[in-house]
This record gives sequence, structure tokens and C-alpha cells, in this order.
Amino acid sequence: MTANQTLRADTIQGRSLWQDAITRLRKNHLAMAGLVILIIMVVVALLTPWIAPYSYEVQDLDLGASPPSAAHWLGTDTFGRDLLTRVMYGGRVSLAVGFIATTVALVIGVFWGAIAGYAGGRTDAFMMRLVDILYALPFMIFIILLMVVFGRSILLLFLAIGCVEWLTMARIVRGQVLSLRQQEFVEAAVAMGLSPLTIIIRHIIPNILGPIIVYVTLTIPSVMLLEAFLSFLGLGIQPPQSSWGLLISYGVETMEEYPWLLLYPGLVLSVTLFSLNFLGDGLRDALDPKTSKD
Amino acid sequence: MKNLLRRCWLLGLFFLLCSCGPMESNLDSATDAQILHLGNGTEPQGLDPHLATGVPEHNIIAALLEGLVGENPKDLSPAPGAAHSWEISNDLLTYTFHLNPQAKWSNGDPVTADDFVYSWKRLLKPDLAAEYAYQLFVVKNAREFNQGNIQDFNQVGAKALDRLTFEVQLEAPTPYFLSLLSHYSTFPVHRETIEKFGAIDDPGSLWTRAENFVGNGPFILAEWALNRIIRVEKNPHYWDSDTVTLNEIRFYPIDNGVTEERMFRSRTLHITSTVPAEKIEKYRQKSPELLNISPYLGSYFYRFNVNKPPLDDPRVRKALAMSIDRLKIVEAITKGGQIPAYNLTPANTLGYTSESTIVFDVEQAKLLLAEAGYSGGVGFPEINILYNTSEGHRKIAVALQQMWKQALGIDLKLYNQDWKSFLFTVSNMDYEIARGSWIGDYVDPNTFLDMFVSGGGNNQTGFSNAEYDRSIRSAAKTIDMKQRYEYFQRAEKILTDQVPVMPIYTYTKLYLKAPELKGWHNNILDHHPYKYIYLEKTD
Repeated sequence: MTANQTLRADTIQGRSLWQDAITRLRKNHLAMAGLVILIIMVVVALLTPWIAPYSYEVQDLDLGASPPSAAHWLGTDTFGRDLLTRVMYGGRVSLAVGFIATTVALVIGVFWGAIAGYAGGRTDAFMMRLVDILYALPFMIFIILLMVVFGRSILLLFLAIGCVEWLTMARIVRGQVLSLRQQEFVEAAVAMGLSPLTIIIRHIIPNILGPIIVYVTLTIPSVMLLEAFLSFLGLGIQPPQSSWGLLISYGVETMEEYPWLLLYPGLVLSVTLFSLNFLGDGLRDALDPKTSKD
Repeated sequence: MKNLLRRCWLLGLFFLLCSCGPMESNLDSATDAQILHLGNGTEPQGLDPHLATGVPEHNIIAALLEGLVGENPKDLSPAPGAAHSWEISNDLLTYTFHLNPQAKWSNGDPVTADDFVYSWKRLLKPDLAAEYAYQLFVVKNAREFNQGNIQDFNQVGAKALDRLTFEVQLEAPTPYFLSLLSHYSTFPVHRETIEKFGAIDDPGSLWTRAENFVGNGPFILAEWALNRIIRVEKNPHYWDSDTVTLNEIRFYPIDNGVTEERMFRSRTLHITSTVPAEKIEKYRQKSPELLNISPYLGSYFYRFNVNKPPLDDPRVRKALAMSIDRLKIVEAITKGGQIPAYNLTPANTLGYTSESTIVFDVEQAKLLLAEAGYSGGVGFPEINILYNTSEGHRKIAVALQQMWKQALGIDLKLYNQDWKSFLFTVSNMDYEIARGSWIGDYVDPNTFLDMFVSGGGNNQTGFSNAEYDRSIRSAAKTIDMKQRYEYFQRAEKILTDQVPVMPIYTYTKLYLKAPELKGWHNNILDHHPYKYIYLEKTD
């Protein structure tokens, strides 16, 4: 996997590493299924305000919790609200928090880690000690502080979660960069006079995409659950809005009386997490430049 | 890959696992050891009898300290406490208490009349800022002392005639005075202990820590692990320790009713603090002998902060109070036989009932809101509803939020805080609308109505009305019950016109009780003197 390999591939077949990756990914059926399911989820979430069968907040207290029926495909909750609608709206929040918070974590973590690892020496020591300090802060307290200072808003919640989730990412990236930094292709890039930033973006980050992607697929589910936890404590989103995590935690309370309130949100969350994991696995395999070409 | 899947499952199961209780104890062995396991709702705000204001605090303090007068466990009639007898003068103004010479503090010191003088002085000290200070305003000059008009406590009507004789002089005859003395705000504290850990009026004192606490009750504080457990053990120095059968009581702060119910079912609790609405029907059908629903002298209401616009307009408050369907709340949400309430004081409190000007009338509410300048809810500012973290309170808040939205077109936001922060926020009036409740301290309408006098420690709404204050004061000076109730009705009319609080329902006491638990009698204050409680094997 080096620059000259790419060069040879170009001259012979005109296929880039990216094209290879896509070909490999397409052959991975599980990953493709995951991708399709995720795309469907995102599309449904985006279109929810127009396609949701009911309002997510209008209650029918006389109806109360009712099992799945023709009128309410997934049943209704204890307030008589349509569960399908609430799962759809909940998906908007959960997917948004999953993607936004993870993106925030990804951007900060990758750059922090890559810069620390590449620069080395005192810069590295300083940057990583800062990470250590933030690690030492109980992250719940950190988030609660942020929410108290800046008030309760969904967007801020996304950012706050992202701001605590980047630490592990930074460590992973730094570790990878440290081992890559000594390799010939980086030395070659230095010899060619490329700026450090270009080297990081063009040569180092593509080579550590594997671990990054794996970690991202782990981060998304954990931030979704973190959001539910914070909302439950009163720091995240508040009723009548909901998210999958909240629907599940409310569903647990009544799982013996009204099992569908736990079952369906749980099912949707599980399917999403599986899809993410399969896709993440597939991407890692596909993007690993060390994989032999077939 | 395998590892990944496992992590994913672990995360997914996280909440399921979280909701399973952390307890390891077992009721079967508890009977032999006489250890009572009690679900206490939430972590108490504190155990200082002069600063606490809540029911969870009461449950613990009642085990640790004892007032002058105790309670009969069945009908709450006065029983010997720290005082073994008392005399009441013919004009009903002077009470003379004879302290039990056997009464001792948990360190062996005798309980003396001076301890009571000291403790009442502490409760009334302006700098302690006790929310419950007004409880003692029936005592001569107590109000003056609390408001700083009198510096010398000797002028207050609470005196030690000798080591064991305590005399109280009242402002006016007070029919409920003896039952007031079994309320924790009038309980004694140990002078040396208080002074060892701070000044008499230091609210932040550490004397209530388990290693410092000295009490005169049937139990002593053995362990206080924050948010986990409070453990009290039998006090060998207690004067009536022969009556006490229990060796230990463990209070568990569980603010999630579902978790609590699950613990009860797995036999780790003898008694729960509540029953989740969804479970009531199931217990009613399958094991009615475990379920208790009984009358409870308590009101569930919402406080309005009358200083914050738009709630400074009585029409807005009234509109809010008139546009909610209380019947639906009790039938579809709480489901425990609660009674819709339109008055603060529960109907038929010691024969007292009041008319209310609050009715469920959405059209009228819309008109009122329009008069206040928010026709159809247009321009209504975004305000928040605060409740303490609990799924029961959350459900009611969610239902009300939607009722207001549909009836008046206004959007209110919800947020919740844990019990301690919640009490702090409400008493600092840092809220707009807050969930509230009040359980009678004694059986008399006064316990509900004197809360809302101007500047009252538990008022916490900013409500202040001269005529209301006058009515409450007149009632306090009236002996004739009929006349007295008329004053209360006049006061309550003002309350329902001005709506600083919006009554929602009258409580019922809901709990699950294990069959081993004996000596636990229902009464409308839900007071259960622990010294009469014991555990007995059943087959």
C-alpha cells in the first residue's frame, strides 16, 4: 500500500483505491443491506412531518395504551398517542444526535489526534495531557455543566455530547499516526516538501480510516443511548418530543403491561445499530489499503 | 466482528440492566432479624428536623427523634412522647408538659425542658430561616421573635419551669396544638451536638451526619450512604425501648416507582412509597391483599410564580386552572382512586369543605386568557413547568401540557430536577410553574391554608393578600369551630379567585405491603410510629 502501488494501478487499469473500495463494499451483502436500511431510515426521518399518520403530541386519554391494530399499526402509548408516529419522530432526534454528535467527535478527535501524533514531542505531550485532563472529568458532570451554563436546547445537547466523545477518538488516531509517521511514504512526502497539514490530510488520514470507521460505528449507538440517559435526567429533549432512547426507557417501565411500547422502539434501534455495525465492518474491510487486490 | 456485536448488544441492554435494583437483601431473613426494609421515595433533602419540609424526610426523622407528644398508631390521638403527661389550663392558653424522667438522648444524656426551649428557639431563629418556623406562630410572641421584633427569647411563650417541666403559652386557643407537637418541626435537638458542629442558627451544620447524630427517638442513625441507603438501629437509651420490636430500619431512596415495585416483587422491600399507575389494576385483580389504597390528607397542585409574567395576571392563572380536565387525569393517568380537586384543602378535612370558583370550563378559560391579552394563545411567552424527577409527575405534566395546548393554544415546556435541587429551585422562586403537593401535618384545614400567608416559608409562590392574611389570623383566634371554618372558607375563596396554586387532585395513599409487616395502621396522615411495628412470619 504505498504511493507507487497506486501509480501502477493507475497505469494499468485506471482504477483508484476508492474504486476498489467501492467494488469490495458492493460484494459485501451484509454491509450493503445495512447501507440500504440506513438510507431508508434517514429518508423516513426526513419525510416524517409529511408522512406520519398521526400527530406525535395529541393525546387520547380515553383510549390510553392499546395494542397494535389496523388504526394504530404499532399500538398507542399510555396517553393514547400513536406509537408509529412517535417512533418516526423519535428517529429524527436519535439519528440526528447520532450523526451530528459523532461528526463533531470525529472532526475534533481526528484532527487533534493526528496533529498530536504527527507533531510529536512537546506539542504531543501537551495535547494529550489536555485529553487526559478532560478524561479525568466525570463526563456527566461536564455535560451537565455545559447544559446549565448554556441552557437546554437540542442542538447544544448534540454539541455537548460530541465534545465529550472525541477524546477516545483522539487517542486512537494518535496511536495510529505514531506508527505511520516513521514509514517511508511519509518520509517521501516530507522529502517532496509537502506541508505537514497536507501530509496529514492526504497521506496519513486515509491510512487510518479503518480504525476510525470502526470507532464511529461504535460511537453512534453510544451517543444515542447517552442522549436518552440525559433526557431522562431532564437535561436533553423534553416531552412531548421523544427519541428512541426515551421511548425505550419509558417502554421498560410498562413492559409487562404494554410490551409493544418497548418492543417496537427497541426493534427499530437494534436494527439501526446492526446496520451501522455491518456497514462499519464492510467499510473497514473495503477501505483497508492492505487488503490484497483481487 | 464478534466483539463488535457483543458491544452492541451490551449497549442495547444497558437500560434494561440499569432498571434492575441493586439490592441483595431478602425479606425471609429480615423477619428473624427484625429488619424493616422500606421504600422511601427519594433521597431526603436533609435530616435536620427544623429544616426539612418533605414526606421522605418525615419518615426518617420520625424514627430518630421524638416530640413532646406521640401518636396513637391507629387514630393518631395524642399519646405519651418525651412528655409522659400534660395539663391544659381552663382558658386553653397554657399547656404544662411533664417530661418523662426516663427520656434520654442516644448518648445517655437526659432529655430536659431546656432542650425544648433551645430547640424551639432554634426553629424560630430568623437566621436559620426555617421554612416551617410559622408552625410555632401559635405560641405567644413566636412570630415577633421570628420576624426579629423581639430579640429576647424569654418573652416567647415557651419556658422551662424546672428540669422536667415545660410550659407553653399560646396566642389563642388552638384546637390542633397537641397534634402539632408530633410534627417534626417541633422536635427537640441535642444542644451540645448542635453547638459542637456550628452555631444554633447554622443551616449548613454537619450534625446530621451518621457519625454525629444524637437523637431521642426509638432509633439511632447508623449509616447514611447518599442515594443508596439510610440505616437506623434500635436505640438502647430510648425510654420505651421495651415496646420497640424492630432492630433496624433500612430506608431506600428509590424515586422510580417501577423499580420500587420490581424490588417489592423480588421481596427486597416490605413496603413501597407508591404504586405505579399501570400496576394498580393488576394488583387489584391478582393480589389485592398486597395493595393498599386509602384516604390520605394531601393535595396535589401546581404552584404559579405570581411574580413572573404572564403569571402575574390572575386571569392567566385562572384560565390555566379552568382549562384542565382533572377527571381525566385521575381516571387515565393516576388511576389510584384520587379525587379531582378544585380547592387546596381536601374536602371534608375535619368536617370542613369549601366552595370553589374554579370549574372545568374551557370557553370561560379562553375568554379570560383573551382578556389578559393572549387571545387564542397568541403572544403567550414561553414558560416552563418544573417537576421533580419521577415517572408519575412526568405523566401528569405531559398530560397537562397537552391539555393547555389544545384548550388555550399555548406551548409550555417541561423540565425536571432531582428532589433536592427541585426543593431549592422552588423555595428560591426560580420557576414559572412548579409541581407541588402538601400532606397535612395535622388534621385541620389550617395546615393547608396558613401556608399561603404573605411571606410564609412554604408559600413559595410570591402570593400576598392582606385580606387572606387577616382571615387566617382571625381563624387562629376563633374558638367556635363554625365561625372558624367561615374564616377559612373566606380565605379559600380568595385562593381560588387569585389562583396562586392550581389544585389538581386529592391524594390517596397507595402502597404495596408485604404480609409479614404488622402494626402498620392506615390513617389519613400516613404516620406510622415505628415503635409499634414488628415483623411476623406468615404461612
